[in-house]
Amino acid sequence: MVMKSAIEDDDAGWGLGIPEKMKNNANWVDITHEFKGACKGTDSSCVFGLFEAMSAIEMMDPKMDAGMIGNQVNRKVLNFEQAIKRKSRFEHGHSLAQTVFTCLYVHNPDLIEEPSLKAFALGILKVCDIAREKVNKAAVFEEEDFQAMTYGFKMANNVTDLRVTGMLKDVEDELQRKVKVIVLHQQFLALFNRIKFTRLLLTALITFTKKETSSVGEAQKLVVQAADLLSAIHSSIQHGIQSQNDTTKGDHPIMMGFEPLVNQRLLEDMVAYFGKLIERIKTVCDVINTTNLHGILDFFCEFSEQSPCVLSRSLLQTTFLIDNKKVFGTHLMQDMIKDALRYFVSPPVLSYKCCLFNNHQAKDYIDSFVTHCSRPFCSLIQIHGHNRARQRDKLGHILEEFATLQDEAEKVDAALHSLLMKLEPQRQHLACLGTWILYHNLRIMIQYLLSGFELELYSMHEYYYIYWYLSEFLYAWLMSTLSRADSSQMAEERILEEQLKGRSSKKTKKKKKVRPLGKEITMSQAYQNMCAGMYKTMVALDMDGKVRKPQFELDSEQVRYEHRFAPFNSVVTPPPVHYIQFKEMSDLKKYNPPPGSADLYLAASKHFQQAKLILENVPSPDPEVNRILKVAKPNIVVTKLLAGGHKKDTKVLPEFDFSAHKYFPVVKIL
Amino acid sequence: MASMIEENGPSTHQSGVSSSSQARLKLDGLLNKNMRIRMTDGRTLVGLFLCTDRDCNVILGSAQEFLKSTDTFSQGEPRVLGLAMIPGHHVVSIEVEADSLEDTQGF
Repeated sequence: MVMKSAIEDDDAGWGLGIPEKMKNNANWVDITHEFKGACKGTDSSCVFGLFEAMSAIEMMDPKMDAGMIGNQVNRKVLNFEQAIKRKSRFEHGHSLAQTVFTCLYVHNPDLIEEPSLKAFALGILKVCDIAREKVNKAAVFEEEDFQAMTYGFKMANNVTDLRVTGMLKDVEDELQRKVKVIVLHQQFLALFNRIKFTRLLLTALITFTKKETSSVGEAQKLVVQAADLLSAIHSSIQHGIQSQNDTTKGDHPIMMGFEPLVNQRLLEDMVAYFGKLIERIKTVCDVINTTNLHGILDFFCEFSEQSPCVLSRSLLQTTFLIDNKKVFGTHLMQDMIKDALRYFVSPPVLSYKCCLFNNHQAKDYIDSFVTHCSRPFCSLIQIHGHNRARQRDKLGHILEEFATLQDEAEKVDAALHSLLMKLEPQRQHLACLGTWILYHNLRIMIQYLLSGFELELYSMHEYYYIYWYLSEFLYAWLMSTLSRADSSQMAEERILEEQLKGRSSKKTKKKKKVRPLGKEITMSQAYQNMCAGMYKTMVALDMDGKVRKPQFELDSEQVRYEHRFAPFNSVVTPPPVHYIQFKEMSDLKKYNPPPGSADLYLAASKHFQQAKLILENVPSPDPEVNRILKVAKPNIVVTKLLAGGHKKDTKVLPEFDFSAHKYFPVVKIL
Repeated sequence: MASMIEENGPSTHQSGVSSSSQARLKLDGLLNKNMRIRMTDGRTLVGLFLCTDRDCNVILGSAQEFLKSTDTFSQGEPRVLGLAMIPGHHVVSIEVEADSLEDTQGF
């Protein structure tokens, strides 16, 4: 690239000078041919200031170039469907000016006399306004998701929400009467459906703004009703399309009639879009049925995995923390954290039967710790509200806060333990809080690494150390953390049983209880085996020369490795594994004799086999279990084949197919 | 100057000056000049030439967008864009101000 240095200041006519030159009809020399020739003749690109390059507006890009001619979004239309289509594009990140406000009717609905059009225009404005407010409040958007500027356009602020819904209802009633009387009732029915849909959607969004938890259930009912209308709207799409005599002049067609070149497929997409949006809103409404913190975290994670739109993500956030004070408007975050602690690790200090529960000093310790946990956990839940790409980065940053929490947890644990020893010598309070924080730390670290696969950030030659870190290190720690939590729970239960036995002489039947952490331990074992299988497969493929590595002069695997795991440096437990340490720990030469590729393929196949066995024994498997099995089964076969020397001499590189599972690929030998 | 003329002279046996660096010199000379670029959709951008690359993508500084032909007096009001990048395949024509070409080599 040829560039001008950014520091050079010139006085060759910035701003003011140029239009003067234009008006003076300066002589312009055409250099197109020479310029293009010169460009082709230069060498390949050198580094241009990345910030400058990224700040430039790209012309002819629909999102960035507002003046683009021939951009379908810019065509002005009148049709209802088109207006709703604009609204959906607004929710996908295009600016208001380019979308909703290309319809002149929404600029000043007060001037509209026709009642249904007026009500509809106001309805659309209100829906956009509430959507905008929700998204702003939830603050889980980035510029690619949503443009917050309203450019000074009035969003029907002079009319109350209630009035607009009232107007829509009036129009509906009027239309309903007409439908019964008039012969052309199909068209009126179509209109009726759309007005009703708008009213239901608007009312649902308004309901979300209310603070009571019951409003969520109400909103759910409303969107279900709206969903029912969608199929009727879909089948009456053709009523919206009418051909128009040509009124287009030049580049900006004058909008007066109907969109002449309306794209039927786009309208059908619109109906599909609203169908999906309503499904998402329904799912969001379900969150209030989950009452424990870990369940809520899982809910948010699962919801995010479908890559939902910014509006539904925002609705989920604002439903969770109504006005950022209480969870679902009723629970205090601190109480939810205490419940989570009890569920996970049963710390004596939170047990009603324990003397520490009423101890003044112990209460102070635990209360202050839990209060300090509130903000990081709220941030964690907010992170899961962002779009998938942004989450990874933010997860990396929040590890610092969790490292601080871990430090505090250890101190509080030690203090509580010494207190407990004095009062109830048989009980222990060893590392209960620390274990819980460690569990979350590990979860964040694992999610951070795995999301790199989903976002396709890693090159093939990096897979082996990512999978190594996961299987040999993070999952190993997670397993020991979970079993420690489990034994802590069992210890608590034993003590409770003892206390009960002391009171009554009833013999309690020994029933095999399902361990609450059982499912999680099982899934972690399965994941660990999958990662181990992938790690060994990659190392073996590398031994056989089947992995393409970078071949440039300043290449250093150490630099890549340290970069990939950089966010882990702020974590104390588990301590980060630096490159040299990793090389030592993963060195195959410490075995005698050192394994060859065939041995590694065989070991990998055993890991996949183990994962398959574990998962097949899971009672009531969920979709995730089936997804992993879809990868484990073919990989068992492939690795066995490779162990037998299948296609060892081929030069063709293997392929990794992430379509069945975004974290674990099916290895394909071509 | 003299050495430049020699290198650009009829003899093509001169080693040391590859055609790519000649091209580079040409483009270097255009830096910071007023440029007018017509795009495939009929719009015209006027701005200071800051950067280009092999695919002829051009970055203009203080760019202004004109909608109608700039040859007539009835040109539209320019819309100020600031820093703008035009993809190479959308460039129809590139013009430079005549008076600023005095010190430019090769054009």
